[in-house]
Parts: sequence; structure tokens; C-alpha cells
Amino acid sequence: MSHHPITPFHDKVHGADLRAIDASVRLPVLMLFGNAVHWLVVASLLAFVLSVKLIAPGFLGGISFLTYGRLAPAARDLFLYGWASQAALAAGIWLMTRLSGRPLGNSLLTILLVSAAVFWNVAVLLGTLAVFAGYGTGVEWLEYPNWASAMLLLSFLLIGIWAVLQFDRRINPRAEVAQWFLVAGFCWFPWVYGTANLLLAWKPVQASAQGPIQSWYCGSLLTLWLLPVALGAGYALLPRLLECHMNRRNLAALGFWTLLFLGGWNGMERLLGGPVPAWMTSAAVVAGVLFLIPASIVAINLLGMRPDPKLVDKGEQGVVLPFLRHGLYALIAAALLGALCALPSVSGALRFTAVTEAKAQLWILGAISFPLFGVLYACLPPLLGRDCWCPALSGRHLWLTFSGLWLLVTLMILGGLFTGLALSDPSVSFLNITSYSYPFHVLECAAQLLLLAAAVILGWNLSRALAGDYLTKNPRK
Amino acid sequence: MHRLPTLLSGIFLFFMTSWYGMVAYPVLGLGRLTPVADAETGGALPAAYGGQAVAGQRVYATEGCISCHSQQVRQTSVTPTDIERGWGVRPSVARDYLRDSTAFLGTRRLGQDLSNVGARLPDAKWHYKHLYHPASVCEGSLMPSFSNLFVTRRIQGQRSEEALDLTGADAPQEGYEVVPTAEAKNLVAYLLALRHDYPLPEAPVKKSGSGAAK
Repeated sequence: MSHHPITPFHDKVHGADLRAIDASVRLPVLMLFGNAVHWLVVASLLAFVLSVKLIAPGFLGGISFLTYGRLAPAARDLFLYGWASQAALAAGIWLMTRLSGRPLGNSLLTILLVSAAVFWNVAVLLGTLAVFAGYGTGVEWLEYPNWASAMLLLSFLLIGIWAVLQFDRRINPRAEVAQWFLVAGFCWFPWVYGTANLLLAWKPVQASAQGPIQSWYCGSLLTLWLLPVALGAGYALLPRLLECHMNRRNLAALGFWTLLFLGGWNGMERLLGGPVPAWMTSAAVVAGVLFLIPASIVAINLLGMRPDPKLVDKGEQGVVLPFLRHGLYALIAAALLGALCALPSVSGALRFTAVTEAKAQLWILGAISFPLFGVLYACLPPLLGRDCWCPALSGRHLWLTFSGLWLLVTLMILGGLFTGLALSDPSVSFLNITSYSYPFHVLECAAQLLLLAAAVILGWNLSRALAGDYLTKNPRK
Repeated sequence: MHRLPTLLSGIFLFFMTSWYGMVAYPVLGLGRLTPVADAETGGALPAAYGGQAVAGQRVYATEGCISCHSQQVRQTSVTPTDIERGWGVRPSVARDYLRDSTAFLGTRRLGQDLSNVGARLPDAKWHYKHLYHPASVCEGSLMPSFSNLFVTRRIQGQRSEEALDLTGADAPQEGYEVVPTAEAKNLVAYLLALRHDYPLPEAPVKKSGSGAAK
């Protein structure tokens, strides 16, 4: 690995090939990332409004499309499909093309990718509006009406197939670890999303069978689609950022196959004690605990990479590394929390409390979003061919995101523990428990505000970067 | 793992394990459950929903009730809390959801579990008032108002029998009344139909002291 064909340090890159590669994907990647950040801002705003509604249920009351029950799924789906999935598509295309060492086939393909990206965003927009207008399906994480989810699936296929085919066109005969993860993620999304929509929304099976499918979907969407892309980003970027070799490839392979095998079962924890056969409850315990294996393997593998001491390059790339690293910390935390909550006695007390929400936040905003932020910060300078990020804003985004998420998760875990213990005592009335959790909700509101500020700063930074604002005010020597 | 077909077959095979266990098995097993005969009345259990309750499921879905309410009483081996809190007389089983279009199992309990709300709170009037202004009947409730499911209209001749008995700040001005829309009526019909207080072969109801353990 004497060359660093994907190095985020754009100013060290002189290969004409790299320029051609970046040029071939510039438009679709910028479009997908740009829109993803835009949806992240909207979703964070909705999440903030939701947190206010928990302390003041009358806030924005009487407006049908802004009731909690419509806002909550709209916000969650925007985080999942508007932001995370779209950013994963952008990251996947850029990384797969870079790692393959060849530009995309031809310009027609670029047009196809751009149209698919437009289609994806139209689907997200119309799907969200439909949920607001009261046309949601009521199936968790699949609330978009059938036509919108069909549009999403179709756009994904139009984009994803090229990312996978790019693997086959690669120059380097020895595939990189990052490529395994990316190919796996891109193969799984259509299967996971298609199966779940078909059986739960388009042509629902008898509801007695829906519980396991729902939990399989919610688990698989995170562990089999978004997480592999996030890990692929880590495996692609970390060795290049740190200018070290990706050793312990066997360990990486073990992590990959155990994730493949155990990832799909990870959602089962939602079925503990639920209306399913007893073996599923037992399997849920096993799956939740065993997921620690792939999570710790990849974390040890990636966090174990040590930087070259000669490396002194700082600047806007300064945020890429912390984002990638914190993504792994969040993954470990999510896996630990998941394993703990898979124990029957713990699940019995905490399952329907804020602890469940804390786990979802650790996954979506941490383990998945942090590495995607890293890719965004890494890919923009080479794509635009100039130094484009404002370091001060990037730094603020980093610290607001970290403090917001860790504060939110801590509060949710504490609040969840508190309510969980109170719920276990039948002599304490439900409404009393609600009133006790008020202070936690107030503080959560502050944490959501930090996350909203982080998203707005990222959006501002990105729009300035795209407009070339920073460059004109700070010309390079 | 350097060739696409090899990688793809590996991905496919590993994926199949969870797909089989959590998708194919439930569809072929749980998806083929049928109602059982009710020994007392000769009807079927769980009973089919009436037309209004069927329509009410749509309202339950589109208003996002699942964001805060679960519909499952958990196995006592995991926690006795659900039954102790009076949310049901026995744990929920897959057959309970047979008549639903969507299984609204839920993941959060910002509000109470609703799998037996029809048995626990059988008064439609209470539900209307609660939906219109939750805190008026449950002080300190976090639930938002669903006043969008009601209309305020001028009283034509006699006051409608359906009109809500509202007091204080909620009361409409003189000569007006607040009545539920068709959506509100459907939703309440569905809520009242949510009751699983009968025994099923796989889920007997434990009588106090003499539980037929199975």
C-alpha cells in the first residue's frame, strides 16, 4: 500500500486517475450528501420539537399534522432514510469508486445516478408529507405510504447496483476489507427493505406473524445496511489517515463473517417476553449477547491502528479521525447496552423505557452517523478540488455532536432506569411515574438543542464549502 | 473473498439464516394460526372486529398511537409487572393479533399499554373526553389533545346525543357543541374492541390460586 489512492489529504494527491475518479462521481455524491445534510437539519428540528412536546404536551397543540404521533415517525424516518441511508449511499459510491481505482463507466451513468438521487429525495419528501397528512402506515420505521417506499427501493437499486459492480471492475486483484463491508451493505438493503415492505405494508401477512418480521427489519436495517457502510468507511479511511498498514486481516475477516451471521438476529431483543414462541425469546437473549463478538472484533481491529508518529498533518481533516473513532465507541456502547437489555430480568424492567430509545440513538446518531460525517469531511475537498471546510465550524460541529449525543444517551439511560424501577412497583401509579420523569425530559430537550445546533452548523459549513465562501475569504498561499 | 460471486454467495448464505428464522418461519408458522372456538358462546376467539373497529385501526396507525403505546402483555417469566399493573389477565400470544391488519406491538410506553384497554375502560364517553383533552380526565398526562378528531358546531335544534360533556376551559361557547367525527368514533370502537381477557389453549387465564399451568 505504497500509494494511498483514497487519502483524504487531497493536497497530496496528484494522480490524474484520482481526478478522473472523483470527477466521475462528483455530482451524484455531492447531491446525495447535500440533501442528506439538509434532511438531517429538518430531522433534528423535529426531534427537538418532539422533546419539547414531552415537557409541554400542549406545545403546537391542536394542529393535526404536528401531533406527537405524526411527528415522531416523520422524524425517525427522516433520520433513517433522508439522512443516514442517503449519506451511506453517497459514502458508498465515493468509496467504492475510489477503492476500485477506476472512474465510473460513462457519463450516462452519472446522469442515471443523479436522476436516482432526485427520485430518492422526492420519495423522502412526499413520504414525510404523507405521514404528516395522516397517510402513514403505522408500521414502525416503515411509515411511508406504499408508493413512496416503492420509489425508495427503486432509486436504491438504480444507485446501489453500480456500487456493487464497481467492485468487480477494480484494478487491485486483492479486495480490501472495506470493500467486503460495502458490498455486503449494498446487497442487503434491497433485500431487507423489500422483504419488510412486502410482508408488512404492501401485502401484509397475518398480523400474528408480523412481530418477528418487524423486529428483524428494525435490527437488520441498522446492522446489515447502515453499519456495514459505516464500518467500510472506517476500514477504508483509518489506515490512510494514520498512514499505517491494515494488519490483522484475519481478524477483520472474522469480524466480517460474525457480523454477517449475527447481525440479522440483533433485532430479536425486541421480542423478549413478547407474543412469540418460547424459542424466539431464548434466541433473543443469545443474539443480543453474541452481538458483542462482531462489535468488539471490528472495534479492536480499527481502534488498534496506531498513527505514524511522523504524521503532523492537521487542519480540516482533524475532525475525520475523531468522528471515525467515536463511531466505534458508540458501537461498543450500543452493543454493551444491547447485550445488557437482552438479559430477561433487565429487559423486563427497561424494555419500554427511554433506555430503548437511548440504544436507537447510539446506533443511528452514533455508530452510523459519526463515520458518515467522517466520510463527508474527507470526501469534499478532493471532490471539489480545493480546501473547502471552515476548520472552526467543523470543530464546533464535532464537539456539539459529541456532547449532544453522549448527554442525550446518558439522560435517557438514567431516566429509563428510573422509570423502569418505578414501573416494577405496581403501587406507584403510571401518572406518578410520568411526573417523576419530567426533569429528565427537560434535560433531554437541552441535549436535542445541542444536536440541532450541530446539524445547523454542519449545514452552514457545507453550504459555504459548496459556494466556495471559505476559499475566497481565506485564499491559500 | 476476492471474487464477486464468492463474496455474494457468502453474503447470501449468511443472510438466509436470520431471514429464515425471523421471516420465513413466522410467515409459515405464526401466519397460519386460526381462531379457536369459544366454549361458552360458540363464537370464535379472538372475535372478529366490527366494521367501525376495522376502520379504527387505520386511525390508530395514521395518528401514530404506536409512538407511545404498546399492545402486548409480556410473559411472566420475563416480568410480572404488566399483569400486576392490570394491563391484562394473561400474557399476549401470537393468536391475539390474528384479526389485526397491523400488529401494533410498540417499543415505548410513554403511555399505558393498550392491549386490554377495552376491558379496562369500557366507557366510550370517557374515551371521547380523554381524546379531546387527556389532562381533563388524567391529570398530569403527557398525551397530546386529539381535538382534530372532533368538530365544534352550532347546535341545530336539540343538542346532539353524541356531544361531549365538557366543562371549564374546554366547554364550547353558548349554543355550540363538540361532537366526534367518524374517525374518532372508529378509533374509539377499535379501542373498545381491544380486549384479550379470555383464555386461549396456549394462554390460559390463571384463576386466583388454581392456575392451569402449561
